[in-house]
Amino acid sequence: MLKYVIKRILMVVPVMIGVSIIVFSLMRVFSPDPAPVVLGQHATQEQMAAWRETQGLNEPILKQYVLYVKGAVTGDLGTSYYTQTPVSKEIAARFPATIELAVAAIIFASLVGVTLGVVAAVKKNSIFDAGGTLIALVGVSIPIFWLGILFIMFFSGYLHLLPTGGRINVLLEPVHVTGFYMLDALLTGNREAFDDALLHIILPALTLGMYSMAIITRMTRSTMLDVLGQDYVRTARAKGLSELKVVGKHALRNSMIPVVTVIGLQFGALLGGALLTESVFSWPGIGKFTVDCILKSDLPIVQGIVLLVAVVFVLVNLCADLIYAFLDPRIKYSSKKEG
Amino acid sequence: MNSKVRRLVPAFALLLSIVLALSGCAQKTATTGDKATDTKSTASDTFTFAQGADPRGLDPARVDDLESGKVIVNLYEGLTKYAADSTDVEPCLAESWEVSDDGLKYTFKLRQGVKFHDGTEFNADAVKFNIDRQLPPKVDDNMPYASFCFGTVKEVKVVDASTVEIELTQPNTAFLANLAMGIASPIVSPAALEKSGNNSVMETPVGTGPYKFVKWNKGENVVLVRNDDYWGEKAKTKNVIFRIIADNSARVLALNNGEVDMIDGIDATVVDKIKEGGNELYEAPGMNVNYMAFNTTTKTFKDAAARKAVAQSINKEELVKSLYQGYSEVANTILPTFMPGYDAGVQQVAYDAAASKAELAKLGIKKVHMITYSNPRPYNAATGSALATAIQGYLQKVGVEATIDTYDWTTYKDKVKAGDYDMAFYGWIGDNGDPDNFLNLLADKDPNLNIARYDDATYKDMIKKALATPNGDDRNAQYAGCEKYVAERAVWVPFSHAKTQAAYRPGVSGFVYHVTGSVFLSGVEKK
Repeated sequence: MLKYVIKRILMVVPVMIGVSIIVFSLMRVFSPDPAPVVLGQHATQEQMAAWRETQGLNEPILKQYVLYVKGAVTGDLGTSYYTQTPVSKEIAARFPATIELAVAAIIFASLVGVTLGVVAAVKKNSIFDAGGTLIALVGVSIPIFWLGILFIMFFSGYLHLLPTGGRINVLLEPVHVTGFYMLDALLTGNREAFDDALLHIILPALTLGMYSMAIITRMTRSTMLDVLGQDYVRTARAKGLSELKVVGKHALRNSMIPVVTVIGLQFGALLGGALLTESVFSWPGIGKFTVDCILKSDLPIVQGIVLLVAVVFVLVNLCADLIYAFLDPRIKYSSKKEG
Repeated sequence: MNSKVRRLVPAFALLLSIVLALSGCAQKTATTGDKATDTKSTASDTFTFAQGADPRGLDPARVDDLESGKVIVNLYEGLTKYAADSTDVEPCLAESWEVSDDGLKYTFKLRQGVKFHDGTEFNADAVKFNIDRQLPPKVDDNMPYASFCFGTVKEVKVVDASTVEIELTQPNTAFLANLAMGIASPIVSPAALEKSGNNSVMETPVGTGPYKFVKWNKGENVVLVRNDDYWGEKAKTKNVIFRIIADNSARVLALNNGEVDMIDGIDATVVDKIKEGGNELYEAPGMNVNYMAFNTTTKTFKDAAARKAVAQSINKEELVKSLYQGYSEVANTILPTFMPGYDAGVQQVAYDAAASKAELAKLGIKKVHMITYSNPRPYNAATGSALATAIQGYLQKVGVEATIDTYDWTTYKDKVKAGDYDMAFYGWIGDNGDPDNFLNLLADKDPNLNIARYDDATYKDMIKKALATPNGDDRNAQYAGCEKYVAERAVWVPFSHAKTQAAYRPGVSGFVYHVTGSVFLSGVEKK
């Protein structure tokens, strides 16, 4: 098991090298020259040339890449061209917001998705099944920015129940411990801040989690249907077990493996930042920030974020794989049995 | 259909119940405290202004964007400042000044008893420190306005604690306006800069202004609090929060919902919604110009007659009305109407399609090549391509076929530099409110600024002389003369000046939304 985990963690290295090469090349080939953006409307040709020189943008691309990797290995991801602030600091200021939103969204998506999927499978062809399927269909098809705006108009504009955006009322902001406002509020015993942060996260989490929820619903329904048709379920029923036990203990646990994979993948994707949701709800995460930086050709920031997302994705997948072992004891992570 | 709707009901009911349950739960617990619905900044001691993007930074020497400028002008002050409703220069940290007869020496008498937010003294040394950091050898690549504001400064001398003398390399009357700008010129605490270790206070601003910096949650908000030791009239509202709301519709919803008190970055599509929410609109002329330039180095357009004939084909009133829906005003001059040097008597080429057609046929002009930008710009919300397409339509009516090449903004700048065009679209956002800032563009040698590539010795002399003339009627008349000179030669076709727009909650008063785009909030109050 330990060997497997170490091996998987080591796999991050080639993934990172691959990702960094791709991002580095793409940004160098397709992004416009950052000099006019950074230096503004009065920049002369000489000033722009001098700036490119000091930033090392005139060096051969291979040398630039090697220097970048050297820096990255020692934890120096460079400095933002635009804000002149270290990349790690810029990302650290925004990543907790993205994680907090992704966690809230995936909790919503998993709870609702699994519940709807199970109900739809157990009550197959009933109104519940139709309802669940419809929600899944709507969740997959609906454009997120539109849904977000609708939510804001209804819950904020019409009902005045929830705020239109942001993470918290800044005057209630808790003392920073972890950077996750809800957690910080709990740790510092600040109930008012917790409530306010919760009110702020509801709509973005629902909007962001809608797509994942739909996918999880579909996956749960189909695997549950599959499992419910198996012989051992019939045997369990024949033994006289209650329907709750049959579904909850025997069928659900066995149908969860593919669902956990999907949840893991969805969570990884959510951690990559959600451009549209973050934009609509003014959520200060890395999604919107990445796009802003691409538009400004702020190469160091974009590279930093993409590397971070790659690491997170690999680690999330690893966690999902490890949960398999818990759900299905037949899976053993010895190198021999693998594959 | 009915059955489909019926199927939707449980879906919607489930969703609604989840949201209501969650919000109800939080609301319920929140009511145990005093501030049951504290999601709104309705407290009268807090004013929230929502803007579309994060500031680039809060060190005036290291930024060039309006988002930074809006925060900076409430934290810092310069030696001079603009009048509330124009770009006339008034005293600020300097109580008075004298200019030597040759226009090369400026002696400023500084206000005494002024302290920076860190408690250190504002004095002549601080002024010298701030200007010196933007001059060689200390200036670095990341000071976008250092050369613009202080490029003509030869030396800064401390005469005594409250007197500073600035020597210029050449007469430059616009220097006083430069000192009033919201970027580059505001005075930063030297102690704070030294403490920073990297000559930068991008995230730790310390000035002398009516507000002090509290914190900046990146991508979220910048929080300021009243400076109770301010030398002038104290700010009326205790807390000022700049909230970052990128999405235009979301910004309007936040205003309508009472979460923010004022927003900017408004376009025509949201005005009705703003009014429906019972809010007030603020509209003022903007310090910008949206124009088309003829490439005066091409065979087609080196003669004024050809340029005039093309300009005659454009119905500017109709164009501006249809493209900008009343949110830009027609430009009859290059200078916006509130700027010194503006003269209502300047006549641009008038619309006359028939005369244009005859003249173009006589000149044998059948084809022209235009380049433009694909995106909206602050002076042209409709995008460069929409504008170029409209001009193409007018030209077609007078028998000229126009081809358009469209590029993204940065690529476009490269194309402009390369110079392969007959006509190109551009604009200018004023920096310092001085007429030289606009009219010097046609005398500049850099083709990225002077895209008409206009090279006229007489005009250059006129500009040079006006720049050296002290502020006053004589100088203004000289700039009016410059305007007339280029209008007669139809070097540019100025289309429009985009208006400055903002919206605010009823009961809000006392803000100054300046023509330069800065927002001064020390006088703001809420009822």
